[in-house]
Amino acid sequence: MLTLFFVTLVVCCLIRLAPGEPLGAGPEEEIGMRVSAAARAELRALYHLDQPPHRQYGLWLSDLLRGDLGRSFHDRRPVAERIGERLGVTVALNVLSLLLALAVALPLGLLAALRPGSTFDRLAGGASYLLYAVPVFWAGLLLQIVCYGRLDWLPLAGLRSPESEYLGPAGRFLDLAAHFVLPVLCLSYGSLAYLSRFVRATLIENAAGESWRAARARGLSLASVLVRHGLRQAGVPLLTLASLLLPGLVGGSVIVETVFAIPGLGRLFVESAFQRDMPVLLGLTLLSGAATLLGILLADLAYAVVDPRVRRA
Amino acid sequence: MPERLPANLRWGAALLGLLLAAALAAPWISADPARLELDQRLRPPSASHWLGTDALGRDMAARVVHGGRVSLGVGLLAAAFALVIGLPLGALAGYRRGLWDAAVTRLTEAVLCFPVLLLVLALLGLGPSWLHGISDVSRIAIVIGLTGWIPLARYLRGEFIKLGGSAMVLAARASGAGPWRVAVRHVLPSALAPVLVTAAFTVGAAIGLEAALSFLGLGVPPPVPTWGGLLADAREHIERGWWLAAFPGAALFVTVLACNLVGEGLRDLLDPRRGRP
Amino acid sequence: MRDSWRAGSLIAALLLQALAACGAERESPGATSPVTVRALLSQDPPSLSLLGKPDHNSEIVATQITDSLVQYDDRLELLPRVAESYEFSDGGRTLVFRLRPGVRWHDGRPVTAADVIFSVEQARDPAVENRTFAPQFADLVSLETPDERTIRARYSRPARGALEAWRLPLLPRHLAQRGAELLTGSYARHPVGCGPFRFVRYRPGEEIVLEANDDYWDGRPHIDRLVFVIYPDQRTAFQALRARDLDIMVASPDLWHEARLSAAATRPESFVYYRLNLWQIGWNMDGSNPFFADARVRRALLLALDRGQFIERIAHGLGRPGVTSFHPDLVWTDATIEPLPYDPGQAGRLLELAGWSPAARGVRERAGRRFRFRLMIGDSSQGIVDEMAAWLQQSWARVGIEVEIEKLEWRQFRERRLAHEFEATMAGLSFTPNPDQFELYHSSARDAGFNYGGLRDPEVDRLLESGRAADDPVARRQIYFGLQQRLHELQPIACLIHFATPVLHDPRLRGVVPSPIDHWRTTRGPREWRWVEDLAGG
Repeated sequence: MLTLFFVTLVVCCLIRLAPGEPLGAGPEEEIGMRVSAAARAELRALYHLDQPPHRQYGLWLSDLLRGDLGRSFHDRRPVAERIGERLGVTVALNVLSLLLALAVALPLGLLAALRPGSTFDRLAGGASYLLYAVPVFWAGLLLQIVCYGRLDWLPLAGLRSPESEYLGPAGRFLDLAAHFVLPVLCLSYGSLAYLSRFVRATLIENAAGESWRAARARGLSLASVLVRHGLRQAGVPLLTLASLLLPGLVGGSVIVETVFAIPGLGRLFVESAFQRDMPVLLGLTLLSGAATLLGILLADLAYAVVDPRVRRA
Repeated sequence: MPERLPANLRWGAALLGLLLAAALAAPWISADPARLELDQRLRPPSASHWLGTDALGRDMAARVVHGGRVSLGVGLLAAAFALVIGLPLGALAGYRRGLWDAAVTRLTEAVLCFPVLLLVLALLGLGPSWLHGISDVSRIAIVIGLTGWIPLARYLRGEFIKLGGSAMVLAARASGAGPWRVAVRHVLPSALAPVLVTAAFTVGAAIGLEAALSFLGLGVPPPVPTWGGLLADAREHIERGWWLAAFPGAALFVTVLACNLVGEGLRDLLDPRRGRP
Repeated sequence: MRDSWRAGSLIAALLLQALAACGAERESPGATSPVTVRALLSQDPPSLSLLGKPDHNSEIVATQITDSLVQYDDRLELLPRVAESYEFSDGGRTLVFRLRPGVRWHDGRPVTAADVIFSVEQARDPAVENRTFAPQFADLVSLETPDERTIRARYSRPARGALEAWRLPLLPRHLAQRGAELLTGSYARHPVGCGPFRFVRYRPGEEIVLEANDDYWDGRPHIDRLVFVIYPDQRTAFQALRARDLDIMVASPDLWHEARLSAAATRPESFVYYRLNLWQIGWNMDGSNPFFADARVRRALLLALDRGQFIERIAHGLGRPGVTSFHPDLVWTDATIEPLPYDPGQAGRLLELAGWSPAARGVRERAGRRFRFRLMIGDSSQGIVDEMAAWLQQSWARVGIEVEIEKLEWRQFRERRLAHEFEATMAGLSFTPNPDQFELYHSSARDAGFNYGGLRDPEVDRLLESGRAADDPVARRQIYFGLQQRLHELQPIACLIHFATPVLHDPRLRGVVPSPIDHWRTTRGPREWRWVEDLAGG
């Protein structure tokens, strides 16, 4: 928990140190748009900008302990509201893409490890590297052009179609699901590629290990050894790695959210950073930090459960 | 040590070597990437422009080759940072356990909780002016290094924990070898193996992050080309120039491939237990 | 086992059907569903309270939901709207409005003078952060309402330009909160106005839905619904437009060009117009650098640019070389002044005269100092900015000047510019139709205004001051003509290019009328748009 507060404090100081204030216009500047000095001073006081960073942080902290995340500098809505309305979408997107990545990476890595050096293995490897090399904004565009522009199978962007208000609940759910397909694909393919190579590497390495040789000596086929022992051994570091992908929850999906016009936390985060919107940034840091710590905890638990040696240590 | 180096190591090293050589030799072997020729805009590959021209009439071949300097620089530098920070920390945590482990774990948690994008923005734009002296390339590399070391460290720590109690190590310790010697000679080679694979991916990740930043408008300023920047630009003209994306994309793919071949090759080389089950 | 297979295939079939249905419904809506126009908005507006924290997006929405006392038409004439008439008196220090009868808020209550006073008070409240209108009421001394339909405004000094301020959006006193609560209260979630469209709902990050106000005093809009769709990425929006999921958007020159090359079946309608903005370079003339205090150098730098070629080739012809910061379409502009030509030879000569001679590696030098400077740019999502930067670098390299581009995140860019820590900056600039450009050029405006480069010219100061004080429009025009001549000589900022605004829309959408401010905020905005299903007809 201390870690979280330390991190949020650093974030607070970082924002304050950054040149630029939340006041002032965005990239558009019109002649005639000027705030008087008095008005400016009043606003600075409103945003606690006249206080030193640690004082501002202290104010935030005391509000937090009372359960109040404060109000966004940008539109004065409560931070909890601004984060809350996007949280569901982002969590859904990230969880689904993680599950997809795991679901495909495991069998793929497994099959590749079964016959290292075979054509399948090389093809899978090549495909993985190709996937990994394609930047997300490109993949998104290509998928949009093919699935929406040419084939008209899937919606282009956003969360719902304009006609969805005329559909019943089942229709709306399916509409939402359809809108999720491409973004989830885009979010998952990079980690999918990476994880599948990782699974393969771990399995091959373990294949030469003692417990495996013993099992093989007992006459079990390679496949069943792979599944029984390999999965278990690979599963744990896999989970660890997967948990490390969790911090991407907040900032990592910004490109997908931009290309597919999804109102998620990634975009909120980037926009707030540009707008120096301290309360929102602190709130998001708290959230991402909590999610990260949770992920690490889960991974460590999984590790301890599966690998008895770690439990002993 | 096997007599012949593993095949993938040979191929990978060769590819990587070729890429590096091209990048280093860029000023001599290619045209000026910043030269605008406004009447030669968006021309497909031809004899005078082998890889075509971009929207401002600049030679794509020159831009891809010069782009390699930056992108490869970012990628390799970032991976190097990550290794330099992650390996010692991971080894210490996993091998010595105790206070080291606790300290390193707390540190990884703190860094993980920190929003990466904020760190990127901070280092790229919000920093003090002396930071601008360091080139943009180095800044991106630093950021990725500062955050990318964590998977390496955590994995290495796990490996060290696992191997620390293995029969081989116990035997070596029993025979009187000091803890460090054991670590380096027996544990490190096998622990290092998958780590190298991860490090190879870090190169790709670094170049990818640079591409994402270019897309968001925060990349390296003109006229310096980078593969990420070229891909971001190509998105604007997707229907009028397939060559704008194909060649930087191919270069990126080859780089990721080469790095991973080298990583896997090194692993095959170092892992004394390698071989088919 | 078989049951789960059957269940699975059933679900799959339903899914496919639903997806097919989603696709099919993208054709034009049937006779019973409302005529909806979907327009692109690039970002969420900071506030829907109509007055709080306005930016261009929120003003676009605000002018549909509510009306104001006066409003521009497409030629930038101020027409009385909620005001039936107005009258200046007392040497221009008093302005009296008579409200039009029959104007009602969307909840039926009538619009009264008290509402107008309330709106002005909120606009001037610093907590509302209204940067657009608050400064325009700076000289307002008092507001009175002799009766429910009359407003008398008294100013501390006569200024004809005061009328423009009354384009202020009107808010209902009985519904909107005051001060900081205006931004945080219930009104900001559901704004109510007296305009042609009423607010239906807002989904943050997705859309803002408005529907036609049947009881609008000036006649119901022709379309039934106006939906603002929020797509941050232009290329995504473009794909939606081509598939008829989006009906109107502002595009980049490249997208406009691509649209025109599309096959006839999917080709959107397009038109182009000029807004009141300008792309310019600001030189820091305060002597902190050895280059730009000299007017000859500033002139030479502009002469070295082939703007015509850039506009033709890169911007697909969608632009005009800038002359001064007075927009070509305004009545105040001296049309006789020509833009500086492309003349690198003359540029070289001027540079020589200023003491900068070619030296090693083709870069000019003076007293051992190389002519190498940093051009500061604010990061922007427009690709054309990068292209301009590259073009500038090459053009100036050809006359022996080395330029380094410094790309900064926007707020940092503003901070540096405000602190005068730059050598040259490049940015866009937007204007109101008001010719008074005091804040851009007056020597007093260096810290409080937009005169970042620190221009200090007594004649410019004098002309600006007398322009402000002048009553007679003819005399005023002459003063501003003189100002433009002087500015053209001095070149304190390099007025690079006026880029045109390309608009793409569905061919079935008719009646979109451009104006120098935009195609939204005039009396000929979405209220007059029509949707024509049968393209063979009219």
